[in-house]
Amino acid sequence: MSETRNAADPRAQIPVTVLTGYLGAGKTTLLNRILTENHGRKFAVVINEFGELGVDNDLVVDADEEVFEMNNGCICCTVRGDLIRIIGGLMKRRGRFDGIIVETTGLADPAPVAQTFFADEDVRRATKLDAIVTVVDAKHLPARLADSPEAEEQIAFADIVVLNKMDLVTPEEAAEVERRIRAINPWAEIRRATRADVPIESVIGRDAFSLERILEREPEFLAGENEHEHDSDVVSLSFEVERPIDPERFNAWITQLLATRGQDLLRTKGILHYQGEDRRFAFQAVHMLADGDFVGPWREGEPRRSRIVFIGRDLNRPVLRRGFEACQVDDPQAAGNEVARRGPDRA
Amino acid sequence: MEGVGAADALLRSRGRSAELGAWVVGVAFGREGRVCAFGLGDGTVRLAAPGQPAEEWRTVAAHPEGACLALCADAKDGALSGGDDGRLVRVAPDGAAEELARYGRKWVEHVAAHESGVRAAAVGKAVHLLDGAGRPLKSLAHPSSVGGVAFDARGKRVAASHYNGCSLWFVAAREDKPRVLEWKGSHGAIAISPDGAHVVTAMQENALHGWRLADGQHMRMSGYPSKTRSLCFTARGRWLATSGAESVVLWPFFGGGPMGKAPTELAGGDGVPCTAVACHPQQEVVAAGFADGLVVIAEVASGRVVPVAAPGRGPVSALAWNAAGTALAFGTETGFAGLVDLSKR
Repeated sequence: MSETRNAADPRAQIPVTVLTGYLGAGKTTLLNRILTENHGRKFAVVINEFGELGVDNDLVVDADEEVFEMNNGCICCTVRGDLIRIIGGLMKRRGRFDGIIVETTGLADPAPVAQTFFADEDVRRATKLDAIVTVVDAKHLPARLADSPEAEEQIAFADIVVLNKMDLVTPEEAAEVERRIRAINPWAEIRRATRADVPIESVIGRDAFSLERILEREPEFLAGENEHEHDSDVVSLSFEVERPIDPERFNAWITQLLATRGQDLLRTKGILHYQGEDRRFAFQAVHMLADGDFVGPWREGEPRRSRIVFIGRDLNRPVLRRGFEACQVDDPQAAGNEVARRGPDRA
Repeated sequence: MEGVGAADALLRSRGRSAELGAWVVGVAFGREGRVCAFGLGDGTVRLAAPGQPAEEWRTVAAHPEGACLALCADAKDGALSGGDDGRLVRVAPDGAAEELARYGRKWVEHVAAHESGVRAAAVGKAVHLLDGAGRPLKSLAHPSSVGGVAFDARGKRVAASHYNGCSLWFVAAREDKPRVLEWKGSHGAIAISPDGAHVVTAMQENALHGWRLADGQHMRMSGYPSKTRSLCFTARGRWLATSGAESVVLWPFFGGGPMGKAPTELAGGDGVPCTAVACHPQQEVVAAGFADGLVVIAEVASGRVVPVAAPGRGPVSALAWNAAGTALAFGTETGFAGLVDLSKR
């Protein structure tokens, strides 16, 4: 047929904000704040059936949080089936809202929500994950971290942590709770709040999952934290290497790593300097679902180093470091020495 | 652009088209033959008169506050529309809208009806059955949300897909106990073969799953580059036509197939995904819509393809024949709709 056939869909993807947080942390307060503030934007809101407070919005959809496993041989690849259907339905009335906000139940594991945006082609085509916003209660977070793995996971997955109920804690308590959050997730942006009073722009329109923005924020590893005994199951590790990365070695390593350890690796992000390539390669993964692409040239004067950050459980620092280091191209210096040493033998 | 113009010849010479301004969710011809209904994402149902291209299309406010999510031909005449306003609405051939049921804040995501008078509306995990007068007959409960619903050719059984399989119910059973056909995963679009021997679903993982009811034999049909959203059996049930590949993929349901048989492919070669299929009600002819807006008719035996509408108007999202097989209607995600008269002149 003619050459004019083109299946590309030029329409913009609708941004989706995922709102997580433990029961009573102030999630619905933040949601209502976003909805009622005069910003001229219209949102479709997907709430769970057991919401704490009423939601004041024209377009509210009840979700069942139906999680199912994809048949792709990966037990950690769970997605939200209801979300796939709801987004499919919402797209039919597109044009009547500017964004979607998905509120999860307090006990929800954020992974299936995030993975839905990687795993389902229709959802990927129609929407983009804008950010995962986790609301935590400054007073009760330490207790939640002690008694529920979900509270840790919600922080581990967060792009933005709204540290709420600041009026109920002392400065020392606040500092300690921030330290706990940083230890789990060093790159999340922490926003202190009382009654969830954060600027809307700090939680909406963040584009935090765009590959271009990966590691734009320097992860805030606390000084000496690496040597500390960790007080939570979920930790983060960051590695940086000097020599360029061999794409084939990296692909082989990361594929194997995600396939075998994907369940424990909650989020992975990397910016890589591929050998012979002037553009930066950005990489991210949620459990074992990965996404990567070139995201434009290295900036003038910017050191071309490759860095990768893992957030997860039972992470073996030396093994991960050695694995990443082995993805570098061979050291010309070392190779040169080798030749020099052999030289006389051949002569 | 010359090719495009030629592809539009049928639409131009024997059809009528319109920009409707909203996603065309479904299209169906009334069984009475006087009306063709387009269900839209803006909550309206547009009515066209087949065979009368001069007549204006009418607008019915079926779901004033919402969107139409599913549309089918109603049991006797007109169309049945399910919306995200929780309403099941009947649109009569004269354009009158009648609310048959209201299910609160839940969405009516799938609808089906049979000429015997029974109607089905899938709402969350339930399939509600209604009689010809609109009275509720029963509510069938499923373990998870329903992804598709279909009656068998005689209207005796109704099948609903869900997670980990589908459930087959007898409409008139005194005690409602489904036959559950199990297969792990999320199941969507569903079809029952005309002879009632097979049930097939489209899955999340770009594959189909089928069951032979006589012995429970599983059938796996895979290899699709994208999800199958549309599937239907040809009139006598010899072929199952499916969307989801860059051609119309037809699985043979004869001579021992589809097990161990390769599918037949029609209207491929352009690298554009097929998004909708509709089988002719009498002949082994399949209409197909593609992601670029192209609509074609293809004859299975010869592989001959006739274009109906040119590409360039958005992914085809709805496609239907009238009962006589003399008219074809289609709509796209971007709101283009067409109705073409294919009767012998």
